[in-house]
Amino acid sequence: MEIRESELPSIGRKFQMTNEQGEKIVIVVHDDGRREIYHFDHSSPDESISMVTLTDEEARQIAFIVGGLLYKPKMLENIDMALGDLVIEWYKLEAGSKCAGHTIGELDIRRKSGATVIAVVGKGNAKQINPGPDYVLGEDSTIVVMGERKQIIEFKQIIRNGCD
Amino acid sequence: MEHIVFEIGLAIGLIALGGLVSSKLRFSVIPFYILIGMAVGPHAFHWGAFDLRFIHSAELIDVMGRIGVLFLLFYLGLEFSVGRLLKSGKSIAVGGTIYIAINFTLGILFGWVSGFPLEEILVIAGITTISSSAIVAKVLVDLKRTANPETEMILGIIMFEDVFLAVYLSILSGLILSGSTSVGGVALSALISLGFMLVVLFVGRKAVPLLNKYLNIKSNEVFLLVIFAALFIIAGFSEKLHVAEAIGALLVGLVLAETQHRKRIENLIIPFRDFFGAIFFFGFGLTIDPTTLFTKETIWLSLGAVVVTLLGNFVAGMLAGRSAGLTPKSSTNIGLTIVSRGEFSIIVANLGKAGGLLAVLQPFAALYVLILAILGPLLTKETKLVYKALNKIFKWDVPKRSVPEQ
Repeated sequence: MEIRESELPSIGRKFQMTNEQGEKIVIVVHDDGRREIYHFDHSSPDESISMVTLTDEEARQIAFIVGGLLYKPKMLENIDMALGDLVIEWYKLEAGSKCAGHTIGELDIRRKSGATVIAVVGKGNAKQINPGPDYVLGEDSTIVVMGERKQIIEFKQIIRNGCD
Repeated sequence: MEHIVFEIGLAIGLIALGGLVSSKLRFSVIPFYILIGMAVGPHAFHWGAFDLRFIHSAELIDVMGRIGVLFLLFYLGLEFSVGRLLKSGKSIAVGGTIYIAINFTLGILFGWVSGFPLEEILVIAGITTISSSAIVAKVLVDLKRTANPETEMILGIIMFEDVFLAVYLSILSGLILSGSTSVGGVALSALISLGFMLVVLFVGRKAVPLLNKYLNIKSNEVFLLVIFAALFIIAGFSEKLHVAEAIGALLVGLVLAETQHRKRIENLIIPFRDFFGAIFFFGFGLTIDPTTLFTKETIWLSLGAVVVTLLGNFVAGMLAGRSAGLTPKSSTNIGLTIVSRGEFSIIVANLGKAGGLLAVLQPFAALYVLILAILGPLLTKETKLVYKALNKIFKWDVPKRSVPEQ
């Protein structure tokens, strides 16, 4: 499936795709985190016939389901069994986050949550794969974390509360 | 100056009231700020400390409004990206050029036919050419049109208008604020403004790595102060060169937009833009005596300009859309969406006031913006009706079957 991506200045980003059935789907990711999913019928490409608005949190939950991370259709089950109920998620540190400036060790992520930080993408797309406990998290860095769903939720709790 | 805090408080209270009413009615806030400003002012009643004439605070409100313009333009610069413009693609470049060419020409012709002198004609053309990005973006989101095929073209045209606004404001401010009368003097001052812009942009581009480094300030407070200092100093300095201070602010925004700190600045600046921007619109209304709004001259002028704008925008939207391969229906949406006018028209009109041009420009701009800030979003909402009506005349397509309404 071909996905066309375009920028909507001052609104966000837009992704357009047409599925095998010829239905057009447009996903708009707003700068404020909202997602909108539009559905266009092939007979009227100018006007959507239905749409839903999702908050950031909802969109992520739905992505898990659609992506098959929570429940995989039987047919696909044998493809990557190894992943089991493990989840990989990324989390971006907001500007002014309480965790910025602290190391992974200080936050004690693995001991407290059980989840493992497998990579950090820092400013200017500087990648650090498998960062050690001395790695300092900067503002705007994206943390890629792996664990069971419970552990991921714990991890988010830690990141939100900082290291106090 | 004894009741100054109370007066400012009253003003902000009125502005907040206007905002509340507008969001209740689901309209853009800008016309309401202006309306509420016009409703009070020197002609209004006063009763002890409850003084709605805003005489003592007029000067302060004026200064706060000026700061509002700085923030509006600074933010515009921050949001703008040269890279994005270059990446926007041929169809948007064609569409944007068509839009500016048609509407600017119509604006000039309109001013000329109405019998104004040159500088006033240029201000009128500026007022009528530039859409309100704020209203357009909000309407697109509110009406759930962001996914439509014409949205990129609409926002692309808006982006072109922003570039046009920057260049036009700098030339116009050179022309009007320098006060020179000879053709040579005028050309020189326009050159100075353009030169100043290019120098700031060039130096700014070179300085991006340094800015990235030195703006790495942990404390939000100090960071904010440094940004504000840069903004006010450069804006103030540009005024010394007879370049509108707004242009200085825009330039600072453009330079900082290229740094890594753009998002942080944006987040910090938005509340200031909203607050001082609201005071700017209120202050603009305050300077207008509502009785001047309903003189024959203003009414005819504004209605004429509204008609010209509607036609110009519709035709330009149609041409831009069709040249990009969009359907007539989508193309109709373009023209009827970008027709909203707001903040930038008022800023251009304000420049006319600063330059001491004919006083009729202010009530004209106010009435014009009031009409189009309210009519624009309504037209955008009802594009389907307009399209159906026009389709009867032009026979773009014959409906095959009825499409279920949402």
